[in-house]
Amino acid sequence: MNVQLESPPETAILDLPSETVKLQVRNLNFFYGQKQSLFDVSVGFAANAVTALIGPSGCGKSTLLRTLNRIYSLYPGQKATGQVLLDGEDVLGARVDVAALRARVGMVFQKPTPFPMSIFDNVAYGVRLYEKLGKADLAARVEESLRRAALWDEVKDKLRESGLSLSGGQQQRLCVARGIAVRPEVLLLDEPASALDPISTARLEETIAELKRDYTIVIVTHNMGQAARLSDHTGFMYLGKLVEFGETEQVFTNPVTTRARDYITGRFG
Amino acid sequence: MDHTITAIDADLQALTRDVSAMGDLAVAQVRASIDVFLAHDLATAAKVVRGDDALDLQDAEIEKRAVRFIALRQPVADDLRRTIAAMKIAMQLERCGDLAKNIGKRVGRMASAAPAAQAAPIGELGRLVTERLAAVVEAYRSDDSQGAYAVWLKDTDIDERHEASLREIVAGMVADPATVGDGAHLLFIAKNLERIGDHATNIAELVHYQITGQELDNRPKL
Repeated sequence: MNVQLESPPETAILDLPSETVKLQVRNLNFFYGQKQSLFDVSVGFAANAVTALIGPSGCGKSTLLRTLNRIYSLYPGQKATGQVLLDGEDVLGARVDVAALRARVGMVFQKPTPFPMSIFDNVAYGVRLYEKLGKADLAARVEESLRRAALWDEVKDKLRESGLSLSGGQQQRLCVARGIAVRPEVLLLDEPASALDPISTARLEETIAELKRDYTIVIVTHNMGQAARLSDHTGFMYLGKLVEFGETEQVFTNPVTTRARDYITGRFG
Repeated sequence: MDHTITAIDADLQALTRDVSAMGDLAVAQVRASIDVFLAHDLATAAKVVRGDDALDLQDAEIEKRAVRFIALRQPVADDLRRTIAAMKIAMQLERCGDLAKNIGKRVGRMASAAPAAQAAPIGELGRLVTERLAAVVEAYRSDDSQGAYAVWLKDTDIDERHEASLREIVAGMVADPATVGDGAHLLFIAKNLERIGDHATNIAELVHYQITGQELDNRPKL
C-alpha cells in the first residue's frame, strides 16, 4: 500500500547503474592526522551529469571532493583509505601519476585563484605543462576554453592583460577556463560561486550546465537553490558520513531521511 | 523540529489554519444545502447561495498567501508539498462550495418539496458525502495520513448511493411526467453531491501526498 508507517531510514544512498558512473567512491575513510573526517563513504558520480554535495560546515563534503583528485596529498598527515575508481582505476593507488591524474580531474576553488599573469597565459599554463602545442593550436585551445567558460566575449580584446584585473565573477570563470583547457574528464568545483554576485553566479551556473555535456562534474555548495537548479544528483553529508544520495528532484521534493529533510528545509539545529 | 527561521513556521501554521477553517465552512455549506433541500426551506436556500462568497474569498486569500510564501521562502521538500497542497485543497473546497451553492439555487427553483421516495436516498447520499468531507478536513487539520487514506478508500459507497438515488428519481419521472421539471433538478442535486464526494477523495490524495510525499493511485472504482 501507499501508506508510510515505518519510521524513515537513517541513510538512503541511491546506487547508480555502473555503466553511468565515471567516478566510483568505495568505503572511503579520511584522516587529518588522528582525526577521522570521512566514514565509509560509498557513492557514484555519473558521467555527463552534475552531482552536488551539500551539508553543514565541517560535514566532510570538501574533504570528499579533495580525495577525488588526491589534492589532499599535498599536505602532510592526511590519509585516505578505501577506493576512488576513475573509470575503474583506483586513483588512491600508490603507482598513480598524480600530475596526470590532476589533468584528468580538474578543480576550481572557492576563491578565484588566477595566476599573476596574463589572461591568455592563465589558460595556456596547464596546456603548456602537459602538451606541446604549436602557437596557433595553443591560441585555438585558449579561445575554445574561454568560450566554453562563457568568458570569451568579455576578454577577447584584452587577452594580454593580467588575470587579476578581472572582476571576481570573471576570475572564477577564468579558473574554469584554465581547468577545462587541459581537457579533463572530471571537474571538481568547491563552492565556486560563494564569492560571486547573482549575475556572475547565474553565468557560472549556465557555464556548468553547458559543460556537463562533456564532463563529470562534482560541485560542493552551501547554496540549496544552486544545488537544486544545477545538479542531477545530490548527496547530503553530515558528520563525515554520506546520509542521503539520490536524484536531485527526489531529494528536494521528498527526501527520505529526516536529517536531509531537516537540513534542506532549514530545520537544522 | 522547528525551522531555524521562526517566521517560516508561523507562515505554514497560518496557511494550515486558513485551509482548515475554509474546510469547516465548506462542510457547513454542504450540510446546509442538504438541510434546505430536505426541508424545502427557500429562505435558508437563498442564504446558502450567498454564503458561497466567503469560500471564494478564502480560496483567493489562501492562494495569495501560498504564492507569497513560495516567492519569499522558497520552500522545498514537505514545506513545498504543504504549500502546494494548501493551494490545491483550497481549490477543491471552493468547488465543493460552488456545488452546494448550486443545490441551494435548485431548491429555490423547484415547484415543491421532493417526494419522500426520492428525498430519502438523496438525503442519505448527502449525509455520507458531508461525513466524508468533514473527515478529510479533520485529517488535514491533524496531519493524519491514515485518516486521509481511509476517506480515499471509501468513495465507492458514495457512488452506490448516487446510483440508487438516480434510479428513484428516474422511476419518479417515469411514473409522473408532470414532475420531470423537478426531477431534472433532483438529478443535478444528486450529481452535485456525488461530485463533492469526488472532491473529498481528491483532498484525501492531497493530504496523503503532503504528509508522505507518495501519490495514492489505483483506487477501487464502482
